[in-house]
This record gives sequence, structure tokens and C-alpha cells, in this order.
Amino acid sequence: MQYQYTAEQQEFRDSLRRFVSDHYDYERHRQRLAKGEHFDAGLWQQWAELGVLGLALDEEYGGLGSGLDDMMAVAEELGRGLVPEPVVPVVAAARLLASIASPAQAEALLPSLVGGELRLSLAWEESASRGNPLVVQTRVKDGALYGKKCAVLGAGEAQQWLVSARNEQGELLLLLLAAQPAGLRRYVMADGRAAGDIQFDGVPVDDSAVLCRGDAAERALRQSVSESLLLMAAESLGCIDSLLSVSGEYLVTRKQFGMPLAAFQALQHRFADMFIAGEKLRSLLWAAFQQQGREGFHRAAAQLKVQLAESGRYVGQQAVQLHGGIGMTDELNVGAYFKRLTLMELMAGQRDDHLAGLALAS
Amino acid sequence: MTEDRSLEAFRDEVRAFIRESATEEIREAGRKTTSVFAPFKQAMAWQRILADKGWVAPSWPQEYGGTGWSLEQRYVFAQECNRAQMPPILPQNLQMVGPAILGFGSDAQKEELLPRMLSGEDFWCQGYSEPGAGSDLAALKCRADRDGDDYILNGSKIWTTYAQHANKMFALVRTSSEGKPQQGITFLLLDMGLPGMEVRPILGLDGAPEQCEVFFSDVRVPCANRVGEENEGWTVAKYVLEFERGGSTMGAWLVPAVERLREQCEQVDELGQRRLDDPVLARRLEALEIEALAVEHTEKRVNAGLKHGQNPGPMASLLKILGTEVMQRFSELQLEVTGLRSLVYDPGALEIGAAPSDFSEDELLAMPYYMNTRAASIYAGSNEVQRSLLAKAVMAG
Ligand SMILES: Cc1cc2nc3c(=O)[nH]c(=O)nc-3n(C[C@H](O)[C@H](O)[C@H](O)COP(=O)(O)OP(=O)(O)OC[C@H]3O[C@@H](n4cnc5c(N)ncnc54)[C@H](O)[C@@H]3O)c2cc1C
Repeated sequence: MQYQYTAEQQEFRDSLRRFVSDHYDYERHRQRLAKGEHFDAGLWQQWAELGVLGLALDEEYGGLGSGLDDMMAVAEELGRGLVPEPVVPVVAAARLLASIASPAQAEALLPSLVGGELRLSLAWEESASRGNPLVVQTRVKDGALYGKKCAVLGAGEAQQWLVSARNEQGELLLLLLAAQPAGLRRYVMADGRAAGDIQFDGVPVDDSAVLCRGDAAERALRQSVSESLLLMAAESLGCIDSLLSVSGEYLVTRKQFGMPLAAFQALQHRFADMFIAGEKLRSLLWAAFQQQGREGFHRAAAQLKVQLAESGRYVGQQAVQLHGGIGMTDELNVGAYFKRLTLMELMAGQRDDHLAGLALAS
Repeated sequence: MTEDRSLEAFRDEVRAFIRESATEEIREAGRKTTSVFAPFKQAMAWQRILADKGWVAPSWPQEYGGTGWSLEQRYVFAQECNRAQMPPILPQNLQMVGPAILGFGSDAQKEELLPRMLSGEDFWCQGYSEPGAGSDLAALKCRADRDGDDYILNGSKIWTTYAQHANKMFALVRTSSEGKPQQGITFLLLDMGLPGMEVRPILGLDGAPEQCEVFFSDVRVPCANRVGEENEGWTVAKYVLEFERGGSTMGAWLVPAVERLREQCEQVDELGQRRLDDPVLARRLEALEIEALAVEHTEKRVNAGLKHGQNPGPMASLLKILGTEVMQRFSELQLEVTGLRSLVYDPGALEIGAAPSDFSEDELLAMPYYMNTRAASIYAGSNEVQRSLLAKAVMAG
């Protein structure tokens, strides 16, 4: 039963933490976002050099061959540093690609993903999918693609898109397409990251674009989305841990009525509840991790997403509240974590969506 | 019965007036209000229209420009303004500095300042909070030292909403450090832009400046600008808080807001589905409506008690907590309903008169509204402080 990172993983995480705090301090983050810089090609190259982009890919393609837990450690630090570059989405898409590509395709694509030259983005979410990647309205009809994908992280930075669609027989297809700016409506999200909605209005697709179909495609896509939920939970833990440390420090230093805020029992209890919320999420993250490769994995991932929504919302809101007026400003990182947590709550299926799915399945 | 009928006639009159007098720009600003502070220019334009009609200050005494309406009429008026999504009137003029002057101002102050407050010719900002004095307001340090017929101000204020738009400020300043902290505070009126004064806007969570920091270094303010006696500003400030007894109209905002959210959920999306067909969402909307009604009827009940000479007492704290927390829950559900469509950040499209954007107002609004609404449990006496007051008042029996 694994409930924590190994010593080696911890060391790796600590080195990443230093890298992140050197390159992504909050003041710099604010300045970048104010200038609309969501993606820094130089930093992306450094992520590649650190081995992060190939962390979870096989060594024969230049990767490090590590597991999902290593990626979880990375995701935590990305959350802690509010990193806007789409590291997790690209890595997750690469893992999916690796699981379905032919040897020739793997040979052709994976090394450049590891090296940072190729960026891939997985477009699965739709307005009706509500967290279920098998609910797919996007269609291939007469050799052309129709439909709309929403909230695709890193869509604008990617050279290739992995897209889920169904054919006229209702069979699920996973397609690899060259990114096409025409159908992409890029936007900045409330937390400063870039995303996009992709509209397909008859984009031609031939058979060579289909990487995988049918049951195999369903299995691979579900696996990928569930893995992403674990990474998202790890990322939100990075945010939550930061909020706890910032808030804890604030409570002991900020004085009102001649004493530190930490002296007020109402606030002590609130802080304890925030801590509990974080620990629940951490426990369920490891519980889901243990289910990897087992039947219960998707269920555990969905349960984790429910907890992410609850813990993230609670800790984010309360951290703002405990800070009073200063918590409502752009100047302090508290609001920035709150926003990032809020977006994670809304993406890849909300609390009620996953609860409904879970109830239906059991 | 006849009372009800005349109230309904009054409602019709209010509706007709709004329909005829609100400009398209003012309506747009009302829809695009992403916090409790409406866009400045249009909120003031609406204030002027109401002032011309004599409807701008329902709670003021009639001789100074009040409407003479009953509490029920005032509630109906608030309901109709909210139903039509008019921008809320900024509270600083009419609900804050106005009552201070009505209660404690000199005749000269009343004569000069009240009419300009009503019309919005002056816009006042509220200089109470300081970096070290928030919940514990009596800890404020911004000093006002006597120098002949003037006070000399040194120190700073923070969280001053819309100071960048204001031409006047009402402030609490320290004139004595003797006795209890509450005893050495004075209520002062001053012009913005005096020599030695600097205003720095602060960006909020939605990236827009709403609050400001204000710095004073040797700013000279005539003693004639004092409201009430020296060192008795706390009494003035307390009077202001009590002035709008029964003035809470949060329910008048919430009930129609929930109604609009329900309508949004009834719309058929591109796949022919209605959000309302989701039984879980439908139940949550029902629950939210009950909460909104609890706010509305508690407000009305407090009003009814006032008519019979009861004091709202701890109910004022209760209404603050209840109203703001239901408002926050509303903002949560609105965000969940808007879902993936609310992720986008496009502040330019929220500017009044902006060219139509790719995104609808609903999509653009849910997230900034959700974020800004977090402030409701912080300002005007944080909900923690209100809970302590409430418990203390009620436990004693
Ligand atoms: C959007 C917005 C607009 C505002 N506009 C104005 C304005 O125009 N003019 C103006 O003067 N001020 C304004 N304020 C300031 C507002 O009044 C203060 O933010 C508020 O009084 C809280 O003070 P603080 O921010 O210093 O927080 P603090 O007092 O430092 O409080 C921090 C946290 O500790 C809690 N806390 C404090 N004391 C206790 C206690 N005894 N027991 C339990 N919990 C406690 C608080 O509830 C809060 O959660 C505004 C604030 C906001 C957010």
C-alpha cells in the first residue's frame, strides 16, 4: 500500500520545488499574466531538460520510464508554483498517445515530445460530457469531422491535437490531427492559463488519422482521463498546501483587537477544518493511485474528483475569508490559488456530475 | 386588502417608471454588475434619474428629499429595480455619509451637501479602514492634529471603494489617544485631491480596480468639516449603522436572481437538453429558492416588527450573515450552471458599450461575480464578527 512518495521521489520533488520557486515566484507570475504571457518557450525547454516531459514515457523514446506517482509529485509542484505552462496536459496526452500508437508512430512522435519540440493536446471534453469521456457528440461523417471540444488546455500551444470522436456506427475513435488555428477559439482563463474551444466544421480526416478505435479506444481514453484526475488532484493539493501555509502564517502574525487572529477560536477551528479538507483529498489521491490497473480505478478517480471539488472550494474560499480585505486582491497569491482551484473544480466534470455517474454505476 | 391593492398600484407605477426612464447603457451596466458595486458612471447616471424623480433616498426624512414611502413600498421599489436588473445605487452617498450629516451635521453642512449627495454631483468614498484596523476599527491610527482652525492629517486608509472616482471622502480619524480607543475618533469630511493626498487603486481578484489605498501627508482640512464633536466620531459612525433600520433588501435582490438562474436552466442548449431536466440541479435550485425566501421574509418580518416599535437589535447581524451567505451560495450555483462556459476571462467584454464578444454575458459574468462575492462576508462587519455579536446578544437572553 503506497500512501506517500518514496525518498527518491521526494528528493525529485524538492528539486522541482526549487526550480519552480526560482522561475515562478508570484510577483513574476503577476507580471507575466499582466502582459498576457501564458507560455514561455524558454521555460518549456527547461521543463524538457529537467526530464519532466518524458518522465512517464518509456526509456526507448528518451523518457525516464517512471510511473504516475512521479507525475503526481510534479503536478503538486506545478500547483504550488501556479505554473501556467500546460505541462500536465501535454504529458498526459503523451502518455495516452504512447498507449495507442503503433511502433512507427511512437518512434516518430515520442522523442520530440520528450525533447519539448512537439506539444500535444488532448481534446475530449464537451459541453455535454460532464466528466464522462465516453459521452462524445463529435462525429466523423463521410470523412470529415464535426463537433466542438471545450476547455482544451494547451490547445493553442500544441502542434498536434488528439481528439475523441465517434463514427457513424457510434464507434469511438481517437484521432491525431495537425492543430488548426481556424477552428480554435483561444482564451485566457480566470486563473491566467490559456485554453481553447475547438470547433470542427467538416475538417477532413482520413484513416491514417485514426490511432485507435472501438473498445480499445474507450479503454485508453478512460484510462487517460482518470489519470488526469489524479494529476489534477495532486496539482490542487499543491495549491491547498500553499494556502494552508500562507494562511497559517497570516493567522499568527495578523493582529486585531490586540491579539493575533490565531487566538480566536472560531478561526482556529476554521483552520483545522481547512487542514482536514486537504488531508481527505490527499488520502483519496493515494487510494485512487492504489487502484491503478484494477477494476476500481475509474470509480476511485471519480470519487477523488468529488473530493477535489469539495476540498478545493472550501480551502480556497476560507483562505480568502481568513485574510479579510487583502485576500480579495490580486497582489496576494491567495486569490490566485483560489482561482486555480475554482477552475479545477469546474473542469473534467463537476461534483454533482461525478456523483451522478457514481450513483448510476453502483 | 386595500393596502395590498395600493401596493400593487405602486408596483405598477415603479415598473412603468423604470421602463420609461432607464437608458440602454444603464441597463447594460446593471446586467454587467459583477460585484455589489455597479459600474461607476452608469450607477451615477441612474442615481441622477432617480433623484430627478424624487425617488433616490427612500429612507431619508421627507423634508430632506426622502420619499415618505412605507417600509413595504420601499421593499417593492427595491424588488422592481432588481427585477429589472438596474445597477444598485452606490451606498456611500445615501446610506453612509448622508445619515451622518442628517443626524449630526451643522445646518450649513446640511444645506450645502445634502442636495449634492442626492443628485450625485458629489460622490463620497468611505475612509474608515486602515492597514492595521479592519474588524477592529477602533484601532485606527490615521492622525488629525489641530493647527488653528485646521486639522493636519497624516496616515493612510485602505479598501476605500471607488476612491479613484470620488471627489469627497468621509473619514474616521484619530484626534486623541487618551481613554478608550473609541473615544479619540473624529468624523471628518474632506475633498479628494487636497495637497498631500495620494490615491492608489488596488486590483481585485477579477483584475479590476475597485478599492484603493489613500495616503495623507500633512493634509490640511478645516475644522468646520467635522461632523459632530471632536472625539465623538464613533457615535456618528454608530448612528449611521443604525440609520437604515429595516433597510436590508437582500432578499429583494436574491429572489429575482434565483428566478433568472432558473430561466437560464430552462433554456434548451445546442443538444436540445435543458439543464433543469437534471433532477439534482432542479433540487438545488429549489433549495436555493427557499433560502432566498428565508432572507426575504426575515427582512419583511423585521420590518413588520419595526412598525410595532421593535428594535431590530441582533436581527441586523442575522440579516447581514444570512443575506450575504445566501448571495454567495447563489453565486456558487450560478457558476456551476455556467460550468465550462464560465472559465473564460475577458474583462474588456464586460466594459459598458464593448463590442459584442464571442461570449455571452452569462458566460462572462459568472466567474467574476463568484469571486467578487467572496467579499460580502468580509466587508460591512465580517460574518465572524457578526456571529460573535449575534451570539453575545442572544445568549444573554
Ligand atoms: C470589497 C470590499 C470593499 C470595501 N470597501 C470599504 C470602504 O469603502 N471603506 C472602508 O473603510 N473599508 C472598506 N472595506 C474594508 C472592510 O470593512 C474590511 O475589510 C473589514 O472590516 C475586515 O477587515 P480586514 O480586511 O482588516 O480583515 P481583519 O480584520 O484582519 O480580519 C481577517 C479575518 O479575521 C477575522 N476576525 C477578525 N477579528 C475577529 C474576531 N474577533 N473573531 C473572529 N474572527 C475575527 C475576520 O472575520 C476575517 O475573516 C472593504 C472591504 C472589501 C473586501
